[in-house]
Amino acid sequence: MDSGKLSLGQVVKQTLTSQPSQNTLAKAATIPSELIFQIFKYVTSTSDLKSCILVCKSWCRCGVELLWQKPVFTGNASLIKLLVTLSRNTQTFPYALLIRRLNFSFLGENVSDQILQRLSSCERLERLTLGGCRRLTDNGLLKLLDKANGLVALDVSDIENLTDAVVELVGERCRRLQGLNVSLCKKVSDKGILAVASRCRGLRRIKLSSCENITDESVVVLAKNCSHLLELDLTNCHQITNEAIQPVFENCTQLRELRLACCTNLTDKSFTKTMSALYEQLRILDLTSCALITDQTLLKISHSAPRLRNLVLAKCGNITDEGVCHITRLGKHLHYLHLGHCSRITDYSITQLARNCTRLRYLDLACCTQLTDASVFELSQLPKLRRIGLVKCALITDQAIYTLIENRVVQHTLERVHLSYCVNLTVPAVLELVNSCFRLTHLSLTGVPAFLRSDVQQFCRQPPKEFTPHQRQVFCVFSGKGVKELKQYLNMVIVQQRNRNTGGVGDTNDQVVRPSAVAGADIEESLASEAEGVGGEISESGEGENENGYNQNNDRNSNLVIDGNHEGDDGFVGF
Amino acid sequence: MSTSAAATNDDNKKVTLKSCDDVEFKVEIPVASRSILLKNMIEDVGETDQSIPLPNVNEKVLKKVLEWCQHHVNDPQPTNDDDDSRRRNTEIDDWDQRFLSVEQDMLFEIILAANYLDIKPLLDIGCKTVANMIKGKSPEEIRSTFNIVNDFTPEEEEQIRKENEWAEDR
Repeated sequence: MDSGKLSLGQVVKQTLTSQPSQNTLAKAATIPSELIFQIFKYVTSTSDLKSCILVCKSWCRCGVELLWQKPVFTGNASLIKLLVTLSRNTQTFPYALLIRRLNFSFLGENVSDQILQRLSSCERLERLTLGGCRRLTDNGLLKLLDKANGLVALDVSDIENLTDAVVELVGERCRRLQGLNVSLCKKVSDKGILAVASRCRGLRRIKLSSCENITDESVVVLAKNCSHLLELDLTNCHQITNEAIQPVFENCTQLRELRLACCTNLTDKSFTKTMSALYEQLRILDLTSCALITDQTLLKISHSAPRLRNLVLAKCGNITDEGVCHITRLGKHLHYLHLGHCSRITDYSITQLARNCTRLRYLDLACCTQLTDASVFELSQLPKLRRIGLVKCALITDQAIYTLIENRVVQHTLERVHLSYCVNLTVPAVLELVNSCFRLTHLSLTGVPAFLRSDVQQFCRQPPKEFTPHQRQVFCVFSGKGVKELKQYLNMVIVQQRNRNTGGVGDTNDQVVRPSAVAGADIEESLASEAEGVGGEISESGEGENENGYNQNNDRNSNLVIDGNHEGDDGFVGF
Repeated sequence: MSTSAAATNDDNKKVTLKSCDDVEFKVEIPVASRSILLKNMIEDVGETDQSIPLPNVNEKVLKKVLEWCQHHVNDPQPTNDDDDSRRRNTEIDDWDQRFLSVEQDMLFEIILAANYLDIKPLLDIGCKTVANMIKGKSPEEIRSTFNIVNDFTPEEEEQIRKENEWAEDR
């Protein structure tokens, strides 16, 4: 790579030769080109950099490499202009060879095979990101990748036409590959992955999410050949069994991120028998819907991966208080925990959790139906709690909300609160929450009877398109501006209400306005009519949020996975 | 700034630097060590009464650079691997901004000296300051700001303009 850069630098230097000017110049003109290059690294705007290369020849030579190494496009039009430059017969610089990184994912379906073919002279590509460019087929990709020997990272996720032919070519050509994302490329099978796994020994990150054809064979070879793996995503690879996980833990001890969501065949054996080493680098483990695992797995994990930061156990229905108590061993390392649908757990283990894992930032307890106000009381002591999910924790009452905000710390940290289907909540308690948590940007109250009123719902955001009329009716999620508007509106109503009270009864001391007073009679009706939806199967698809928990780079993938799940109970989903 | 003929024990922790115009500066070692070049030299040579000549830096610039080193004497040493994070951060703190409010020639002299003496943080803020002077300017405005002569032929300039037409801001 370095030698390549050098020779390229020489090419660039030879291209424009300038005569040193005879005039006594300003200091700026005498600065050596290494330093001009240093300065240009801080010129972050593309158009500023373009101005720089038009200043003089020496500035041009310094700037042109920076301008072209990661071309940034404003849209299709600028991409077309770049292609025109590349197709010119005479070019001032060997522009195609200057390009190191290309990212077309934001152009999505505008990217065609023809465009890729016109870029096939970019032989020094190092990073290519085509995620979501769904119109692409093997034709374009084979052409572009044919000479991309130096490719280090390739993202072709969600290109549904892509087949093993492309993945095999990558294995053949790109021996330096470190990252491969073929998530949602459903045609990819063991054949392609084996080609990569057997040749690209330096692979560090591989995402195979929803590559449903993948079997243990791919994973076994990957684990045995690519011992430097840091990230392995097997989400929705339904065929994976314990046999695949064993070599992963045996060989890839540096693993940092392991996603096994919906690998439903996995049992405790995957973990208890195989985690023989200490996995100190492991930070993220996703076991969503690995429904066969039990507390035994959590016991093993808490010992073998002591620095785990994010743990997702949603829909691991066998987990009990005992398992959650094992997790508490992770202590302050644990920042993110998803226990949605782990309905066996009770206040006991949540209390232990809150007392031991004091740096929890994100906690989802959706559908942990046994939890009561006591759990929320304990969680209110967490000094860094930013998001809390209590969807369908139907035993929770206003008291939980009041204890939550009583603690001054949480008032300063809470950003997102999910309370959908907490049917006992009333307007005054929620208003209190909104008034005291000034960072609050998201509040979900879907299916909470006290909020099923058009005057309140006018501030909530649009329900997702795929929702049924019933789901739309109960949908009640406030975010960003909506939270502020809700707050202003409810405060106004309260004041009006109070004025009316003082005018009529003269009860000025009554600080808390009773819910019935605010809600009005028509609400009682909707309460009755919604009752059937609450807790029933329909409400399962609640709000269909598609934000993700922590992995910002992974937006698209996680969204699609969610769509597949159709889970959407307002948890932190993202898986 | 006198010679070190009468060095006492108290001066043990000092080192003498000599600018290209033969002016000597007595500097505490931790201050001089902000420069990786000097730090390595001092470590190699050990204690010495001899002054270290700096043939690329004149008195005026050296004085200025040492002022910066003195102010930043307790900063943590920069590590090599945070190159990218330094680059992303285009902020310059208030003191440094005032420090670099100098004539343009001096600014470039400081950059050259920081490069020669291997003082990365100073080189960075110098480069950032120049980059900020470039922001939002047309090529012609940049030329006149830095007094640079346009050595392109009109044809060359036009071709480069065309070839790079795609480059716009998002």
